[in-house]
Amino acid sequence: MKPEIQDLLARLESAGYIADPAIATAVFLAGTMRKPLLVEGDAGVGKTELAKVLARLQGTELIRLQCYEGLDVQTALYEWDYPRQLLRLRMGEGRGEDPREVEHRIFSREYLLERPLLRAITHADRSPVLLVDEIDRADDGFEAFLLEVLSDFQVTIPELGTIRAAHPPQVVLTSNRTRELGDALRRRCLYLYVEHPSLEKEIRIIRTRWPAAPERLAREVGRFLQVLRQRRLVKEPGVAETLDWTEALLTLRQGSLEPEVVTQTLGCLLKDRADLETMTPEEVASLVTSVREPS
Amino acid sequence: MSDLALRLARLGRALRAHGVGTTLRDELDAADALPLVDLADRDEVRRALRIALKVRRGDFETFDRLFAAVWEGGAEETAVAVPKREPPAVPRGRALQWDPEARRMGTEAGSPGDGENPGYSPEARLRRKPFEEAWTGRDLVAMERLLARLARRLATRRSRRLVPTRGRGRADVRASYRRALRTSGELVTLARRARVIEEPRIAFLLDTSGSMDTHSRFLLTFALSLRRAAPRAEVFAFNTELVHLTRVLAPGKVRLTLDRLAAAVPDWSGGTRIGACLARFHEEYLAAQPSGKTVVVVLSDGLDRGDPAALVEAVRRIQARARRLVWLNPLLGDARYQPAAAGMQAALPFVDHFASAHDLESLERLVPYLAG
Repeated sequence: MKPEIQDLLARLESAGYIADPAIATAVFLAGTMRKPLLVEGDAGVGKTELAKVLARLQGTELIRLQCYEGLDVQTALYEWDYPRQLLRLRMGEGRGEDPREVEHRIFSREYLLERPLLRAITHADRSPVLLVDEIDRADDGFEAFLLEVLSDFQVTIPELGTIRAAHPPQVVLTSNRTRELGDALRRRCLYLYVEHPSLEKEIRIIRTRWPAAPERLAREVGRFLQVLRQRRLVKEPGVAETLDWTEALLTLRQGSLEPEVVTQTLGCLLKDRADLETMTPEEVASLVTSVREPS
Repeated sequence: MSDLALRLARLGRALRAHGVGTTLRDELDAADALPLVDLADRDEVRRALRIALKVRRGDFETFDRLFAAVWEGGAEETAVAVPKREPPAVPRGRALQWDPEARRMGTEAGSPGDGENPGYSPEARLRRKPFEEAWTGRDLVAMERLLARLARRLATRRSRRLVPTRGRGRADVRASYRRALRTSGELVTLARRARVIEEPRIAFLLDTSGSMDTHSRFLLTFALSLRRAAPRAEVFAFNTELVHLTRVLAPGKVRLTLDRLAAAVPDWSGGTRIGACLARFHEEYLAAQPSGKTVVVVLSDGLDRGDPAALVEAVRRIQARARRLVWLNPLLGDARYQPAAAGMQAALPFVDHFASAHDLESLERLVPYLAG
């Protein structure tokens, strides 16, 4: 393994993010090749968290753009601060200023509201991390627009001219694959698919997030999740659910899995009625027995 | 380095040959990425290639096999025996025969009408003509035209997205201010925004089992016309297996498409396992949709050979996730029909709209339900 990737893996871990070689390689390549990184995977595998930890590692700002249907350029890129412009206009009139002078002034950077995308390319001192979260939720039109911004990191504002990024941001896009993304966007990025963690990785995640958790509990929780994910579930629990559940068990002062407590707290893991219904007390008991360590 | 480039080109070609879409651009990215990793580390090279070539999750297996064979083994890309999905042989199902001359019966669509019916128009007659009756090629063309018109009426859903409008709509304060700047700050007119009209998302599930034979041609035509009018409509076929047809359905001529369909759908005119197929549809398509916006239309007689409990469960889940679940049953047009099929009967409480689909008129009545 390349020492740089090894090093990145260790640094990610020290920042509280347990990565695997695939994640570290992707982050390393995206950073070195200066390409956006498209991260796909089931909900709760830590896609958004990856961008956050990246910003933390580089000691730079994280700029987040949450996508949704109906997201438009005014919310994503920039907008003029019209009320303030109007106010300035009125003031100028009152003072008898030259209207042309006033116009010039109200269409300056001072009256420009920077939205996430513009903020990401106008960073003065260093490259920020731009997280475009759940890009699959935005409509196709926005995707095409984003593609344009990402291709040359410059934006043209009619009244101001073209703004070019002095420090192009490091871009992380996440998608739950609720909609197949356009090929053009995918090709522009590097692509990482984040899997559910392996047993060993999941236990390390639990131990890192909840150092107070007894080792035995962490191992049993990890094994329980691995077994659970092999069942046919409507909604597979992700790492986020694992951590919630561990917290619940810790709050209840559990040192090991007990069938009754598991049944009572199953709502932390399974968030679909049909999934919960399949977990009868007998079923839970047999699952717990299969993952429990002899005391 | 030139050796790397050659190997990369070979791998790219092999991937394309096996249906993993990689482009030259991806190969260039890979060429940039490879010098950055440890080339002696096999796993690292494989990971880097996956990342730079943008290999999707579903293609990982194929990629890994080709990587082992072409990249490491140096095999000729054409010689790699990665099991490709065999296109099923074209079945000689009755419903797929296209021979307007042979199937022509005494309907004479071109004959100058019966004088007894004052309201007669070829179209009106066409609308009430049951699907089981033989249709001529000319009938089908006319029907296609009618369907296309119906389908266009479907595009009525309003999206959450707001676009500027000249007519009525919500006042857009920001845009109004912007406009006021032109008139030195006087608000002369208000700018408005309204919700944009969006194509509906429709998913069609066509039962292609034997019992549906006589209807499937017409239902397919309907689905095809819909797809032309609403490109976001998705079409699936099922009998014992679920097949995603959308990509097969080129919005060209129906006839051509039907032949291609026959090749894509295994076990045409075979048995049915509705429950299992609907469950797969929910799992692989519907659950992956961003929100419950899809109108799901099932075209089936509900005659199921599978487990009724599975059918009920699948239908319940689909209804929970869809904007609306419409079940069209061609047998419903038949006065003698009772939904006696056990699974169908049990699933009915979870169906939002249960209607007949035995002639065009009944399909026409369906339009408002599809518009969402």
